[in-house]
Amino acid sequence: MRKKTIALTAMALAATAALSACGDNSSNGNTAAPSGSSGSAASAEKVKLSIWHNFSGDDLRAKAVRAQIDKFKEAHPEIELDAQAIPPDGYRQRLKTVAAAGEMPDVFFTQSGTSIQEFYDGGLIQPITPLLDKYPEWKNNFMEGALDRLSFDGQVYATPLSGSATSLFFYNKSLFDKYQVKVPTTWEELMAAVKTFNDNGITPISLGNKAAWLAQSSILSSLADRVTGTDWFLKASSQDGAKFTDPEFVQALQLFKDLSDAKAFQTGANSLDNTQMEQYFIEGKAAMMIDGSWALTNMAATGTQEQLDQVEVTVLPSVPGGKGDPNSISGGAGGGLALSKEATGAKLDAALELIYAVSGPEGMQAIVNSNSVVNYNVEPDASIVTPLFYKAFDLFKSVKLTPVYDAYLTSAAADVINNGLQDLLLGGKPEDIAQKLQDAQAQALSQ
Amino acid sequence: MTISGRLRTFIIIGLLPALLIYAVFVLIPIFWSAYYGFFSWKGIGASTFIGFDNYAEALRDPIFWRALKNNLIIVVASIGGQLPIALVLSLILRKSTLFQRFVRSAVFMPMVVASVVIGMIWGYIYHPQIGILNFILDTFGLESWIRDWLGDPGINMYSVSVPVIWANIGPYLILFISAIQNISSEIEDAAKIDGAVGGKWLYLIVIPMIWDTIKVAIVLCISGSLKAFDLIFVMTGGGPAQSTELLATYMYNNTFEVFRYGYGSAVSTLIIVISMILVLGSQLLMRRK
Amino acid sequence: MKITTDGGLALDADRAPLSRFLKPKWSWIGNVLLLVYALLTLYPLVWLFISSFKTNQEFFGKPFALPTTWNFDNYKRAWEIADLGTAFVNSVIVTVSSIVLTLFLGTLTAYILSRLEFRFKGILMSLFVIGMLIPIHSTLVPLFIMMNKIGILDTYASLVLPYTAFELPVAIFVVAAYLTSVPKDLEEAAMIDGNGYWGTFFRIIMPLAVPAMATVFILGFLRFWNDFAFALVFINDQSLKTLPLSLSIFSDGYGTDYSLTTAAMAIAVIPTIIVYLIFQEQIMKGMVAGSVKG
Repeated sequence: MRKKTIALTAMALAATAALSACGDNSSNGNTAAPSGSSGSAASAEKVKLSIWHNFSGDDLRAKAVRAQIDKFKEAHPEIELDAQAIPPDGYRQRLKTVAAAGEMPDVFFTQSGTSIQEFYDGGLIQPITPLLDKYPEWKNNFMEGALDRLSFDGQVYATPLSGSATSLFFYNKSLFDKYQVKVPTTWEELMAAVKTFNDNGITPISLGNKAAWLAQSSILSSLADRVTGTDWFLKASSQDGAKFTDPEFVQALQLFKDLSDAKAFQTGANSLDNTQMEQYFIEGKAAMMIDGSWALTNMAATGTQEQLDQVEVTVLPSVPGGKGDPNSISGGAGGGLALSKEATGAKLDAALELIYAVSGPEGMQAIVNSNSVVNYNVEPDASIVTPLFYKAFDLFKSVKLTPVYDAYLTSAAADVINNGLQDLLLGGKPEDIAQKLQDAQAQALSQ
Repeated sequence: MTISGRLRTFIIIGLLPALLIYAVFVLIPIFWSAYYGFFSWKGIGASTFIGFDNYAEALRDPIFWRALKNNLIIVVASIGGQLPIALVLSLILRKSTLFQRFVRSAVFMPMVVASVVIGMIWGYIYHPQIGILNFILDTFGLESWIRDWLGDPGINMYSVSVPVIWANIGPYLILFISAIQNISSEIEDAAKIDGAVGGKWLYLIVIPMIWDTIKVAIVLCISGSLKAFDLIFVMTGGGPAQSTELLATYMYNNTFEVFRYGYGSAVSTLIIVISMILVLGSQLLMRRK
Repeated sequence: MKITTDGGLALDADRAPLSRFLKPKWSWIGNVLLLVYALLTLYPLVWLFISSFKTNQEFFGKPFALPTTWNFDNYKRAWEIADLGTAFVNSVIVTVSSIVLTLFLGTLTAYILSRLEFRFKGILMSLFVIGMLIPIHSTLVPLFIMMNKIGILDTYASLVLPYTAFELPVAIFVVAAYLTSVPKDLEEAAMIDGNGYWGTFFRIIMPLAVPAMATVFILGFLRFWNDFAFALVFINDQSLKTLPLSLSIFSDGYGTDYSLTTAAMAIAVIPTIIVYLIFQEQIMKGMVAGSVKG
């Protein structure tokens, strides 16, 4: 009897062990295969390199980025490249888990601003300045300020793979013609347009603010800059000589609230997501929309050619007495490929070459041709890109870029202002929200 | 070998593998995470020991309490909605006719479909412009009942509770069906002869017979509700203005979005503590008298 | 409790419980209500399959309409781009291994905890409760560090073992609760016949517990098959990825290609439906066994 008992338990444990063993085997099998094909002598010298990014989908930009990585892989048989395309929904979670465990990949995509700063502060990344110095024509072609939010202490840690304009002012040409509304260039004209469209039963501005960053990133970043000017915001975000409770910022929040009070947005704006908001606009149910450059791709995917032809793009109207430059768009450098501190020697060289292959001039050209804004002086191929993108990118190159709020605020404070704007749409008070933002930013910086 | 010796050997060898796996992959991480809760740590770089500060901060944060209140709404809705409906359905749907099989399978299907899909469909039902619910209200002349179901902080927690209940009846249904199998036909017949029909039959025979399963179902309801977030997250994203924030989203947000890993860990430990209290409370209330 | 009073079915008066609630002549109302309810709960699945044949324009523009042309191409593209074939095989291996382990260990533990008397029983029970309460996201970092040290990260075991561990409490409690309502005479007879504890467990307890085990199977299968968090973090090797990861790749962070996403989801949902249909029958078979035994 006893023997039997032990035998059964042993079986159960063996099953457990077998499971882990079979997993081991298959992963060994995988790593063994490529080295076997290139000969055992070469495999000893093969440089192992890993890259993580979130360009996993079937959209043009993701394909363009992956194509660059594949090209690199083909051109460098001496490098054993482990490229991981991780779904965007889980990317941050995955990256943060491995960061907490101290197991970073050699090269990884990270957002600019606050995100890359956390990796810098944590001492996990190293500069890529030597690479930029090696290719000066590449370095000098970046737009002004493109590398700012990816640099610390005079060293560049990544170059932007794509840029973003977060506050493009889209409008429906035929609706403006039909109701003989002037495309607004001042705040009064905007409010007048809002009234006219409302009187005719057309939603003036499409807004879907369920993912609360949208109103912040697309509307407030630009609107507040018109009122306060960029200098004030940079001071306030570093809590050095300005506060978010200052009257100019409260005024900016008030202007946003005025829009909401004037019924500029569709009902239930807080429960629609950005795709629904873009859909609403492209179908001609709303006359205007303030949205980022990602909308160019989304609208092209969900709208018909006829609908897309109605769309024009410009900058947000100016604000009376505002200190900011009205010919500007909030936006900046998107994320880029950062380099782990652990990479040294041959691995470091390989990693730098990989970064250049993906984010160098050739990569920039491929990405811009996928209808994505880049912070790099390059001409998109007009025969490939959509006309709307071509227009938007022209505009992007011709205006000044102002900061996007959440790229400068701490993540805790960004969370507060995101929720605050939803609250404002529900009837919250600008003063209260300004105070909460001030408290959050001050507290996060003091930690 | 003596009987008690054999019993002991069986118990030890039988429990060992389960306990080992459970201890290593569940218990250790729980205590590990509670330990992180004592640190101010971004999840990257250096950390500082700060004692109970994180726990105290969570308990002072009004958003934490709002999330807890919202979670309790879900707990109450689940226990008060899912369990009775599942119990009644399990009594009705016990036969193997084609029709019964069909209904039984259909009721379970929301469980197999991804939360994203369920969330999107309910999003369209509650949609502020093209929503089916508002359309129906409008058709029946109930314009005054029309609401922004997901956007109005006064009601949106109740709006989102409905799909949560609706989508999660399936597991409790099969749990109850399997438990009811065990009531022998003799007991049923005896009960029938004694005149125990209708509600009386339910209270006197069925519920006592499956009491232990009901207790397990309540624990599952509590734990499921306190961890739940995906369906609600798809519908509202926790908003607007954090009005549908839940403990799990609050924890996740702090852990992975705003770089406050230590704080997020503290919140997660609090979630376990609160769930424990609720589970203990419910089990005490349900002691067989 | 509304359904209690007006829902019903009383064709089989002997065992149909509704005859206890409702006069037979009203039972058709109950059937109609049940049918309506069933159709409503079935709708998301139908919607998913219909949507999977649409273009993105149709998906957003006319969410409830039928597609103008049925794009079978969505399936082909989703299958190829997301490498669903590999993911499918991995999901099957991981899910089946986890469920077998969970069922065996869970039923054994449930038997010991519910039928045998020994010290520390209460403490063990409460320990297993804790496992049901933890939000899994907070265990990601500790589990990652630990499995990295043991060296099982990036293997099937890095999913199978945590899945099993987290599902064990549910398995134990569901089976234990079920066993409490089973009379003890059969086991006692088996023990007297010289079966011993293992013999009793395999020959008597496991067959008796089939309905509860089928329930655990369905619940566990759903959880393992759909898990995103663990699969995302613990698996690195592209060739070991499971399905849920493949379902979420059609998004660029600002927008989602729903024609491909829904097609991939529709493919992934089929095994869960089959598993449910098969094991639901197992639960019902238990009913027959139960009545014979009783």
